[in-house]
Amino acid sequence: MRNHVPPEPPLIRRYATLAAKGRDEMIAPGGGVRPHYAPLMAKLAPMAESELGRRFASSRQYLSEAGVFHQVYGEGSEQSHEWPLGHPALVIDRDEWTTLCDGLVQRATFLERLLADLYGERRVIAEGVLPGILLGRNPEFLRPLASQGKGSAPLLSFIAVDLGRGPDGRWWVLGDRTQAPSGAGFALENRVATSKAFPDVSRALNVERLAGFFRRFREMLFALGGPERARIGLLTPGPHNETYYEHAYLARYLGLLLLEGGDLVVHGDRAEVRTVDGFQPIRVLWRRLDADFCDPLELFGGSRIGTPGLARAVRSGALTLVNALGAGILETPALLAFQKPLAKALLGEELTLPTIATWWCGQEKIRRFVEENAARLQLGPAFPGAPHFPVMGETAARPGSGGQKVPATTREGVSLVGQEIAALSTAPVFGDKGLEPRPVTLRAFLMRDEEGWHVMPGGFARVADSRDARVISMQRGGGSIDVWIPSPAPAAKPVTLLGPKGDRFSRRLPGALPARAADNLFWLGRYAERGEVAARLLRLHAGRAGEGWSEGELEARIATILEDYGVEIEGGHPERGLLALARQAADTASRIRERFSPDAWRTLKDIVALVLDAIAEKDEDVVGLTSAILTHLSGFAGLAHENMYRFTGWRFMQCGRALERGQATAAVVSALLSGEAPVGALEALLTFTDSSVTYRRRYSVNLSEETVVDLAVLDPLNPRSLAFQINTLSEVTSALPGVHLGETPDLLFRRLARLKVRLQTADAVEVDSAFLDRVVGDLALISDLLTQRYLLSSPRAAAEWSGGPE
Amino acid sequence: MRYAIRLKITYDYPSAVSDARHLLRVRPRDGGGQVLERVEVAIAPRPGEHTREADFFGNGVDAIAFFAQQTELSVVMEAKVAVDRPPAPLDASPSLDAVADEALHGRSAEGASPIHHLGPSRRIAPLAAVTAYVAETFDAGEQPAGAAVMTLTKRIRADFVYEPGSTSVGTSVAEAFAQKRGVCQDFSHVMIAGLRANGIPARYVSGFLRTEPPKGRPRLEGADAMHAWVDVWLGETLGWVGFDPTNGILAGDDHIVVAVGRDYSDALPIAGAFVTAGPQATDHFVDVVPIP
Repeated sequence: MRNHVPPEPPLIRRYATLAAKGRDEMIAPGGGVRPHYAPLMAKLAPMAESELGRRFASSRQYLSEAGVFHQVYGEGSEQSHEWPLGHPALVIDRDEWTTLCDGLVQRATFLERLLADLYGERRVIAEGVLPGILLGRNPEFLRPLASQGKGSAPLLSFIAVDLGRGPDGRWWVLGDRTQAPSGAGFALENRVATSKAFPDVSRALNVERLAGFFRRFREMLFALGGPERARIGLLTPGPHNETYYEHAYLARYLGLLLLEGGDLVVHGDRAEVRTVDGFQPIRVLWRRLDADFCDPLELFGGSRIGTPGLARAVRSGALTLVNALGAGILETPALLAFQKPLAKALLGEELTLPTIATWWCGQEKIRRFVEENAARLQLGPAFPGAPHFPVMGETAARPGSGGQKVPATTREGVSLVGQEIAALSTAPVFGDKGLEPRPVTLRAFLMRDEEGWHVMPGGFARVADSRDARVISMQRGGGSIDVWIPSPAPAAKPVTLLGPKGDRFSRRLPGALPARAADNLFWLGRYAERGEVAARLLRLHAGRAGEGWSEGELEARIATILEDYGVEIEGGHPERGLLALARQAADTASRIRERFSPDAWRTLKDIVALVLDAIAEKDEDVVGLTSAILTHLSGFAGLAHENMYRFTGWRFMQCGRALERGQATAAVVSALLSGEAPVGALEALLTFTDSSVTYRRRYSVNLSEETVVDLAVLDPLNPRSLAFQINTLSEVTSALPGVHLGETPDLLFRRLARLKVRLQTADAVEVDSAFLDRVVGDLALISDLLTQRYLLSSPRAAAEWSGGPE
Repeated sequence: MRYAIRLKITYDYPSAVSDARHLLRVRPRDGGGQVLERVEVAIAPRPGEHTREADFFGNGVDAIAFFAQQTELSVVMEAKVAVDRPPAPLDASPSLDAVADEALHGRSAEGASPIHHLGPSRRIAPLAAVTAYVAETFDAGEQPAGAAVMTLTKRIRADFVYEPGSTSVGTSVAEAFAQKRGVCQDFSHVMIAGLRANGIPARYVSGFLRTEPPKGRPRLEGADAMHAWVDVWLGETLGWVGFDPTNGILAGDDHIVVAVGRDYSDALPIAGAFVTAGPQATDHFVDVVPIP
């Protein structure tokens, strides 16, 4: 037997000194590396700084390409920031993990029983285990669902538990997340990004994979929906929510419909999705929207993002939400003060995972204890936060606000808890000067199916940006790291979501498109084209100025059209108008990110950045800027054209684009040629329609109004002509849902057909301003008809309250 | 006393509404000093869905939905109710401190339990000035709660000016308290906020008042439309007792209870969510006539 102890490399030696102060995940009290970190360090220690830099960069590149970012709120605006992923991963010893999992599963069972009791028999209150006021005053006790625990449907199917390791080396529960736990999607992204940086290392450690957990989760959702395997939805508050990115990502990864409250309607007891092909039933929703916002009729009346009647559908059993409405009550901090008696009453045993010590100030003896120990405790609200509930004005003792005021009476104390200040363990994370110890918390995820509860083998670890670990928050500059559970042997077979090999191959067409998504795609097409039209016109205007043409009639006419697009030449800041247009397109795209490639989305974001840079640098090269915008837009069009599945969504985007381009072409031709056409108008038209080269090839004569009009308006082969747009519209709409050959066409298709014939049969000499203005009007009508028929079924529900007593 | 009650609520939507869902709380309650002998609710146009149910607090609810476009809505409720509500023995009630203590340690969590009416609710936030106003009315915690609450009821009646139109359904407790004027809903919200902050369970009541007073007695305020007052929990034995701060009296045989809840938003006669682009006009008519 050799007992060879290799000298510690400098990376570790330096870290060991830094980490010596408290409990550390990697360094044991003696200063040596803990055995479960040794294989990782053996790989990392020899890596040169340049190699580490290269590896970090490849993970950053993945995150940026995948479009992972996070919103920071403040100063009244939202900003997207680079996703703060640190390295290396938090490594947890396998045996320790197994024990932790047992504790987590027991805790999940406990929470499940507690929830069923609070929404059922309420035995814990009747028997005096839990003070009734913790239910009666709780904003998350939703009375319209007060009996839902008596049914057979599971109320809890997906939860998260926040953990921190105390100085005694045990994992402590800091809080439960049952309302709409976030982070599972980010855990997945962190895993992929970390594997990009350290593929060899994660392989060598046999890190347990996450895909199996998600696969099981998806199966569970489908099982809840019944044997028909109908579509499952993910209910999101919408693009303004800070975790919307995660919702879109998970919807795409799991194959769920991403739905907002306005996409749903309740008929009878059933919830249905508004799609471009009528109402389609839905039975299961993974809820990422806070319960109180879900139904303006029975829950928070001020909600504009809910679905009237949703609570009815849930009560009737026709709709299952994961988790149930009202599950957020389990996040009540005061419940942590009653863990022991509750566990005894509900499980008949002690919880193996300890929870952070918590005292509820609603009892005099305990209030006095908190008062006496105020210096070492943190005061916080006893009830879960509900922002649309009145704030407790008088007793607002905010956590961490310094000068904490202990309530003088139990009446005030009812809404407060005192909690021990958690001393967290530290984990090694690469900073500016090598590895640094950072306080860490771990969010573990659990899901439940018919077999019971399962823990995700990994999780979402947050690290503070400094040693002060009172608050770890992504909003305040902290970051996250991946979580690795190494296995002694490689996994038998990689699991993916693609399904076992034996599955019979079948190409399934996507389900009907929600009307809101169709609406966004339609407007994305319009906005992108609108940006292109404005950029073309502005380039034309600036180009002529650059060539030394004096400002004349033609420039004035172009400037007038530009004004319609919100681009002001006069004030000398046309970029501002372009910025507004670029933002419209990018914002619309961000609402439906799950429906097209991250590349196409990024192209639109890049345009916004481009214009912002130009404004910031006071760059006056308008031609250069507009050319760059046009290049990006053609990139966007190319990505959309080449990469988007030719289904309903793509068609709505094409409709928007063709309508916008048709209207713009007709309007520009009409404006430039009306009355006495100014000098240079014909050349300008050819430039605007990007048809100069084609013109010289097709017509060997000098410029004449007739031939230019023919090419720009009537030529069905010129992709920039008006006729081409009408033909595109007609072709694309003929394949929309509900259109069948041989049926009497409705008004939309009759109008379109008539317009098509008019352009096919017109002669260039007939095409004057009156003719073109009529086409503009017809296209506006066609747009309205299309909206009415397919898109308007997703209205912004205006919840109105009425009827007052005197 | 027996009454024939007629409530008519109409809405006009000049620019049409669609996808409308409503919850009506217009049926008088049965029990608690009154017997509901007969009730009928007629709705026009005919709703696409109509279900009768009861909410957590035991109020009768008509859930209706319209899927077609509509330009008007009319709800007519007709009922016959017998009321026999002898005045509660206020002086015999437990002390304020005893009521507060009993409420805090109650083990029932069902709809009638006081635990639901001790804390803030959507429309009622605690306000230091209101808390103090009520506390100074209750000079000592040992006095019988019933008598103390009656003093408060009369004080609100004396200190506040009843003035229809001076507030709206959205007026907050703070605004109503600052201007010391308003309607029954405002007075009730102020009283509830102050009672709860002092540990006394209080809930909102919506209902009807007899339209014409008995001979020789003044006409009560709030009889032309639906009325609101306050139920106060006076211990397990007396339970919930109604106080009408608008008129400075106990809720007695002239009061007919329709719905109770934490505040106005739990008890409003018509809650609705619908899609509309335009304004709406509403009209409200109540007739409560004694019958033999």
